[in-house]
Amino acid sequence: MSIGEPLPRPDGRDKVTGRARYAADQEVAGLLHAALVGAPTPSGTVTAIDGREALATAGVARVLTAADMPRFGPVAPPSAVSKLPMQDGTIRHEGQPVAIVLAETLEAAECGAGLVRLTIEPAPFRPQGGGEVAVPPGIYGPVTFTKGDPDAAFLAAEHQHIAEYRQPSRHHNPMEPSATIAVWEGENLTLYDSVQHGYSVQAIVAAALNIRPERVRVISPHTGGGFGAKGFVWPHEILTAAAARVARRPVKLALSRAQMYANVGFQPNMVHRMALGAGRNGRLTAIKHEVEHVTALSDDFVEMATAASRGTYASPAIFTAQKVERANVNMPTAMRAPWEGPGLWGLESAIDELAHAVGQDPLDFRLANYAETDPATGKPWSSKKLREAYEEGARLFGWRERAGRPKRDGPWTLGFGMATCSMGAFRFPSQAQVRIKADGSVTVETGCHDIGTGTLTIFPQIAADVLGLPPDKVELIMGDTRLPQGGPTYGSSSTMGVGASVLRAAENARELLGRLANLPAGEVVMKDGRIGRRGGLGAGVPIGDALRTAGVGEVVGKGRFTLPGDAPFNADGEGTPHTIRTFGAVFIEVGVDCELGLLRLRRAVGSYSAGRVINPRTARAQMTGGIIWGWGMAAMEASPYEKKLGRWLSKNLAGVAIPVNADIAGDIQIHFVDEFDPHASPLGAKGIGELGATGVAAAVASAVFDATGKRIRELPITPGKLV
Amino acid sequence: MYAFNYHRPDSVSAAAAILAKGGDAKLLAGGQTLIPAMKLRLASPGEIIDLGRVSELTGISTEGKVLVIGAMTPHAMVAGSPAVKSAVPALAELAHMIGDPAVRARGTIGGSIANNDPAADYPAACLGLGATIVTNKQEIAADAFFKGIFETALGDGEIITKVKFPAPEKAAYAKFPNPASRFALVGVFIAKTGSGVRVAVTGAGSNGVFRVPALEAALAKSFTPEAIAGVKVGSDGLNSDIHADAAYRAHLIGVMAKRAVAAAH
Repeated sequence: MSIGEPLPRPDGRDKVTGRARYAADQEVAGLLHAALVGAPTPSGTVTAIDGREALATAGVARVLTAADMPRFGPVAPPSAVSKLPMQDGTIRHEGQPVAIVLAETLEAAECGAGLVRLTIEPAPFRPQGGGEVAVPPGIYGPVTFTKGDPDAAFLAAEHQHIAEYRQPSRHHNPMEPSATIAVWEGENLTLYDSVQHGYSVQAIVAAALNIRPERVRVISPHTGGGFGAKGFVWPHEILTAAAARVARRPVKLALSRAQMYANVGFQPNMVHRMALGAGRNGRLTAIKHEVEHVTALSDDFVEMATAASRGTYASPAIFTAQKVERANVNMPTAMRAPWEGPGLWGLESAIDELAHAVGQDPLDFRLANYAETDPATGKPWSSKKLREAYEEGARLFGWRERAGRPKRDGPWTLGFGMATCSMGAFRFPSQAQVRIKADGSVTVETGCHDIGTGTLTIFPQIAADVLGLPPDKVELIMGDTRLPQGGPTYGSSSTMGVGASVLRAAENARELLGRLANLPAGEVVMKDGRIGRRGGLGAGVPIGDALRTAGVGEVVGKGRFTLPGDAPFNADGEGTPHTIRTFGAVFIEVGVDCELGLLRLRRAVGSYSAGRVINPRTARAQMTGGIIWGWGMAAMEASPYEKKLGRWLSKNLAGVAIPVNADIAGDIQIHFVDEFDPHASPLGAKGIGELGATGVAAAVASAVFDATGKRIRELPITPGKLV
Repeated sequence: MYAFNYHRPDSVSAAAAILAKGGDAKLLAGGQTLIPAMKLRLASPGEIIDLGRVSELTGISTEGKVLVIGAMTPHAMVAGSPAVKSAVPALAELAHMIGDPAVRARGTIGGSIANNDPAADYPAACLGLGATIVTNKQEIAADAFFKGIFETALGDGEIITKVKFPAPEKAAYAKFPNPASRFALVGVFIAKTGSGVRVAVTGAGSNGVFRVPALEAALAKSFTPEAIAGVKVGSDGLNSDIHADAAYRAHLIGVMAKRAVAAAH
């Protein structure tokens, strides 16, 4: 039994000692270093590029422009954009690559990039905040949704609350900036890449370069955080592959921190227009939620934040709508806790204000409006123990006793707030195989990725649980598109999909081994390196003996996780009898120094209903990280935008504050309700990687209100808003 | 990656001689601003004159009631100096608040005030204490030295050699650091001397370090936090940027001034 044990991370030592190799760390002989030249304006046409001075620099080998690049084939999602750069002179956003300098050293490439002279015919542009507002196509879900008669229900409501809640554009800023090394051998391309899904890169790079996908191999042993910035395939990955082909040399491109701002997406700014109606008894009668945010000129990215208002509270009438503002910005993309992450900032803030208006405790108000079934569809939940999560969270935090707590600590005025957490369930198909050799060694093989979450810990743990072995006896091989196709590492999906395929592969390997040992299918048990019959006498035979006796070198068990209709993707159990979501509650204690406007996190309790927990230690780390992520959203993060120049103002970590250890109180407590969801995954587990980040911003704003009486409706809650 | 000539003189006069030749020369003190500026191509001097071997520029001494600090004295040495702690403890405390240990080990007082970054700490101390900046050519009162952001009264070929601080009766520096850079979002240096009170503010002004006469007048009557509780500091001429807007900076000047008065010793 190893599922459920708090095993430590096997990759921890390699990472803290620097032994783990990331994409840019791979050693490839004879490679050229690439440096991008980005467009200095958000709009216009590049009419000439003079690379002579750059080429005169020692070590510079090539200056590539659109004229040198192959004509790319058409690309669609999971390509982040449909219009690839360096195909003509058109500039769609500031920072868009317009030239690539290749050199023998990184220093020479960067120096050369600074010497490339661009001639640009400028053109007027639409800045963020000055774009054209439009209703986008429903690529990611319903752009409008209506249940009942929301307008009539709102107008008739005893208690009405209308407000706008805003949040700024912000960037993912993973610790490892994106990097790609492209190596051609004849018609075969190998990419060492920093990714969340290698198979997407394989498909899109092949499409762009007009080659068959099996000619492209993507290797990515570790990714230094993605948070969505490495989920889709970005132009620099395609450009690196094309540059290597043109130059006939391997090419390495490592984006700088500054280049990350315009080359790999961001979470767009959002305004949530909320209107809630409730009866005298505090029962919700209407929920209206409209979201508008910026997107690129070339493609509509839709951040489906309104999903929160369709899935959280019981209400007879619901209306949601999504709009986009098209502007000359780079393409936004999903960020850790998409949809409900921003959506619950709007919904939970409005719920908190309405609870106060009705005169009910915010927790009681939420319990009174508990959704026993999916509010949008009426379908039953696959599993939901949110009521237990609320009560246990409240008990751990002392929510019911907070009135008796002191409200001052030196210069700090204290405040208490809470909010509901929830995420939908994105599921993807996955394959894995488990190999058992005569020497007793076991390997798990799946083309999934390590992005710093718990995958390296829990997949061996799942296989070990089935095979009766200590988890450290199971070797895990991931991060290569030649392996059985594993699911992506985004959308909190890996445990459900990849984990289930590992479970099935291990079970299949056990059956195959059992067959060799003449054991009846379904009655095979393995323990301590031996295989025997369930309930049988004796200790069974050693694994190696079973293989040797049968004259077989190894058995390879195969496992698949599939979706209804063999779909490539399933959101929230759509098309099945159940709606799948995760739930929770977050309770926050803040301190506010009213003289300086300082806001500090003092205490947090997160209590979750999220299916079976495979490893409480890595799960706790995920939820803690989620709450810290949420604190960044609540109190710190914003990517300032310069409207006159049409560019990100501070492309670094000095002008964009993100939480560091000193910002975070030690006291973050995590609790999971005991739960098994048989519909989400055969493991009983659901996704947890993003749930912890939801609800936090609204809980912080609620706590700030409790401390100061000020309702802050625009994130982040910075000192200037509190004095 | 561009070429420049590197000089390492061992005396002020030798440094001045190289400087006098012109040729787009820059003095290198602790390098905390110049080196990053060169990396970013914001500066590309043809001649670098490294003052690191000019030993006469480093050191701390006391001349009667005046504290004298050599221009090349690093912040860490000022922060840890018994002479500074005894004569002007607020100055040692200020030096300890600059940057991080690496910055304090390399950065120098002369480099800081010659650069006159609008968010640097030392200009507030110089102006607040009414210091005298001594160069190889003249002595300049702090009131005349700081001419606006990144601008000083230093002329061509002039090298700061030391800074003289008259010991105050009481002084304190209250700083609200930018949480990321540790630069002052607002820093207020207050000194009470026999001839009155001086209040100097760094980090806030769009034209660099400045004095606040209204606060000085109120504190001259009564050196207590309560005396300035009612003094409103306007936001005209203050910076608005991604870190804070002018109104918040104005608010902070009042708060930090009160805290500095309360802490003055």
